[in-house]
Amino acid sequence: MSGIDAKIKRGSGELAILALLDREPLHGYEISKRIAQASGGILQFNLASLYPLLYRMEKRGWVNGKWEEAPSGRKRRYYHLTPKGRKQLAPLREEWSRFFQALRLVAGVAPAG
Amino acid sequence: MTHHRELIRARLGKLGLRPHREGEIVRELSDHLEDNAAALEARGIAPEEAVRKALDSVPDWPALRNEIFLAETEEESMNYRTKVLWLPALGALALSSVLLALFQFLGLVPRFIWMTSGMSMEPYFTVYAPWLVGLIGVGAVAALWSKRVGGGAIHRLLAALAPAIGFLGVLLISPVITIFIYELLRFYPGAAAHRRFPLSFHGPFLAGMAVLLMSWVLLPALPLLIGAVPFLRKPQAQS
Repeated sequence: MSGIDAKIKRGSGELAILALLDREPLHGYEISKRIAQASGGILQFNLASLYPLLYRMEKRGWVNGKWEEAPSGRKRRYYHLTPKGRKQLAPLREEWSRFFQALRLVAGVAPAG
Repeated sequence: MTHHRELIRARLGKLGLRPHREGEIVRELSDHLEDNAAALEARGIAPEEAVRKALDSVPDWPALRNEIFLAETEEESMNYRTKVLWLPALGALALSSVLLALFQFLGLVPRFIWMTSGMSMEPYFTVYAPWLVGLIGVGAVAALWSKRVGGGAIHRLLAALAPAIGFLGVLLISPVITIFIYELLRFYPGAAAHRRFPLSFHGPFLAGMAVLLMSWVLLPALPLLIGAVPFLRKPQAQS
């Protein structure tokens, strides 16, 4: 299955990350793994595409990274969703929903699967 | 683990950040690299090959370094609230002031409605019809401006009402300034003026404040709101 264009992926990455962290705090590798699993491998974030995005979101105050002990016993940097980040979820979901609705009307894009 | 950090440092180079933060980032990336390599090893790939593949998942390390630097030192030239609220609000204030000056320059005088109350001070309403009509356009421009740059309904509304809110601010602060200046007069040689006009916030003062509130805040707020209303609603989804 071919990947998604980098620009589209960047835009959707914020929503994907916020939605995941809304359920539970995760460290970077877990975030990338879960996004890949949940999207059936269509959305893939590697080291290069994930961390600049996470750091930007942290600067904006949407997420907060803390070093915490992982189940393995090692310390990992877990990202927590902040109240400010949680407030971004609904508008982002709506924005993407309207975007896909517009695409459906203009380009006949149908939901996959 | 140390080995992975050295690999990351070698490829990433200096980030140009504070040493503590730079150390954190290197540590975090090396943890990710380690997990990535472990996942590849679990698929039967040899450890050294797994680490190499994990490192190769980053096609451009200098670009990653730059991206991380920009993300860490990002200074937005204009934050969201400035863009969607303060600038349109300042624009509305400026436009309303320009209109006020313009109409006066053109000789269009305001209408004064006098009220006689038997008190020494006679408060009055100021109705400046051309200016009030012009404020419909001011409200519309401010709301549209805020909407175009991504402002929500509340930002559009506040930007449109900025001239009225501005006048309200002046009105609220004027008693404080009055008291301050009045108290300063005590030290002025011409203190007779101070004794002749005792400061009082009753009667005429309150009536005057109420009239100013009506003339310069509530009355202008109405056309500003009328102008903004068409731009306050969310666009209807097409069916």
